[in-house]
Amino acid sequence: MSLLWLRVAVLLYGIAALAVLPAALYERPRWRHIAIPATTAAVLFHFVSLAEMLDAAHHRLPVDTHETQTLLGLLLAIAFLLVYWRYKTVSLGVFILPICFLLGLIPAFRPGQETPSFSLVHNGWIFLHVALLLAAYAALLISLCASLLYLFQERRLKQKLPALSWLPPLETTDQIAQKSLLFGLPCMTAGLLIGSLIAQVTVGASYFRDPKIVLTFAMWLAYVAMIHIRRIAGLRGRRAVYLSTFVFFVVLAVWAANQFSSVHRFTAP
Amino acid sequence: MSATKPTIAQGRLVLLGINHNTAPIEVRERLAIPSTRLADATRTLLHQPGIREGLILSTCNRVELLTLQDDSETTAPQTKTDLLRFLHEYFSVPPNDIQPHLYEHRDREAVRHLFRVASSLDSMVVGEPQILGQVKESYIIAREVGAVSTHLESLLQRTFTVAKKIRSETQIASSSVSIASVAVDLARKIFGSLQGKTVLLVGAGKMSELAARHLIEHGAASILVANRTQSRAEKIAAELATPAVHTEPISFDNLYAQAPRADIVITSTGAPQKIFGRSHGQHFLHARRNRPMFFIDIAVPRDVDPRMNEVEGCFVYDIDDLQQVASANLADRRREAAAAETIVSREVDKYHERLQSRDAVPAIKALQQQAEELRQAELARSQSKLATLTPAQREAVEALTRSLTAKLLHPQLTALRESTRPKDSE
Repeated sequence: MSLLWLRVAVLLYGIAALAVLPAALYERPRWRHIAIPATTAAVLFHFVSLAEMLDAAHHRLPVDTHETQTLLGLLLAIAFLLVYWRYKTVSLGVFILPICFLLGLIPAFRPGQETPSFSLVHNGWIFLHVALLLAAYAALLISLCASLLYLFQERRLKQKLPALSWLPPLETTDQIAQKSLLFGLPCMTAGLLIGSLIAQVTVGASYFRDPKIVLTFAMWLAYVAMIHIRRIAGLRGRRAVYLSTFVFFVVLAVWAANQFSSVHRFTAP
Repeated sequence: MSATKPTIAQGRLVLLGINHNTAPIEVRERLAIPSTRLADATRTLLHQPGIREGLILSTCNRVELLTLQDDSETTAPQTKTDLLRFLHEYFSVPPNDIQPHLYEHRDREAVRHLFRVASSLDSMVVGEPQILGQVKESYIIAREVGAVSTHLESLLQRTFTVAKKIRSETQIASSSVSIASVAVDLARKIFGSLQGKTVLLVGAGKMSELAARHLIEHGAASILVANRTQSRAEKIAAELATPAVHTEPISFDNLYAQAPRADIVITSTGAPQKIFGRSHGQHFLHARRNRPMFFIDIAVPRDVDPRMNEVEGCFVYDIDDLQQVASANLADRRREAAAAETIVSREVDKYHERLQSRDAVPAIKALQQQAEELRQAELARSQSKLATLTPAQREAVEALTRSLTAKLLHPQLTALRESTRPKDSE
């Protein structure tokens, strides 16, 4: 049943991703009235699907890649709705909604076959650890998209080309980028802290010698440094995009490192 | 009812007027009616012979009389003369001075013209938003004096709907076409809301003052004024000050120290050399921790080095840049106007069709009633012969006669309905 709800959610994300194009690019408000309700409905179906999926698998945290992907897609969609609610702009949806669609697509049609091999999968703290880190990733992705929008709009204004009306003002995109990062920092910090405590209790100090874990702390440092530089130097535009992109690649590297980690693997194929 | 002459039921719509395309300002100003006299003028118009409903639209660009008149073929050619006489008598302007500039639209064309005017397609600046408000104001006054009732009421309500539809379905009013409003638009593209923003005026010019006033209207909270003549700076600062706006004259010598306070800088000095160079931009941005600055340079020769635009966070627009944006926006509006014209044509057709359907209803009803009376009369005449019939047989006869009447009427009713279709319109 959870697959059915997920497929419905993916379909709705697809509709929203298509509807947001005329809504944002051609400022057709009618399409906005399709994109936003479709996303909201998709989030609800997605949530139900995820809850049922975890319940059926008898564990509380998204263990395999597909479940994690699904949760990330859900968090991104929620973040998009929050940005829309606060700033009344659907521009971010041009990037975010297709990502949500793609993140849900594979799990909806090719569910994961991995089984958890970790004894703590029923532990609520583990769920919090994963959810907080994914929220931080989602915040970073939102911030990166907003920085790209900033750069794009800035270039057009500099080149005296007609400003694109679908793009929010520079100050708004800058605020979205900054606030997303500020939201992501406590999520990442708390997520890592919870993870570290669990690791310390269950595995011991050897856990922290794993390259993936070391890289994770490097990611946190990079995240903190990025926020610090952006706030202190008032970094915007091109340099802000470079910095966000760099941290984003660090995050991707940390994600990919799961495949090579000897201690941070919780599934058996 | 005529199938080939589209008229409002029992009346003829006539619109007579002059506008910026047909009459110079010298003529328009003689016919302009201030809003305080509009009610009186509308009342006087209503008392003209043959006028059943009326509305006067008077703006700086047009004076138009929209009237619903008695639908009589004999009086039709006189309507223009009657309205011309009204203009002549009310404004004491000789008919010969007005007549060459007058245009007249009737029925369908009057509806089209009204839709175009309210949608700002007939305005001097296509897409300007004021005209719809002006039409509404005229309507309210006309309704108050009893000059608008059933027919013009429905026409005007439709007009407002069409105007709103055009605004929401096209981009006709989405872009600015004046230098000052383009500057405001660009500032909003950078800063979003202008609430609480600081504007620095360097030099004193009419256009820079106008731009500053536009920025104030959109929320700018603080105005700094720098001028080589300090007394002039103080005068401008005093002129721009309001309870909601803080103004402050600053010494020209202090300009570079104060400039980083400003989010928007408007320059319009007559200085032969540049006042702000690239390095100034870098210095200002550093002092502002990279918060963007928008330079609006409307001086000729220019006050701001165009290379300052290369500094990240500095946006420099000179008068040509602003003019280019305004022209591009105007071209956009013209493109959108073509889409709006299509909507108008469609809406005129719809309105006309609905009107004619409404015109056909009384005729259809009359025909059906006549047929029913005939049927009843024939049944009554045959009453003695039908007396022996059982109730079931009597019911069969009733059904038979009803069916026969309906079948006999069908071609006539179809022809009546067909006659109201758009193909019959002029």
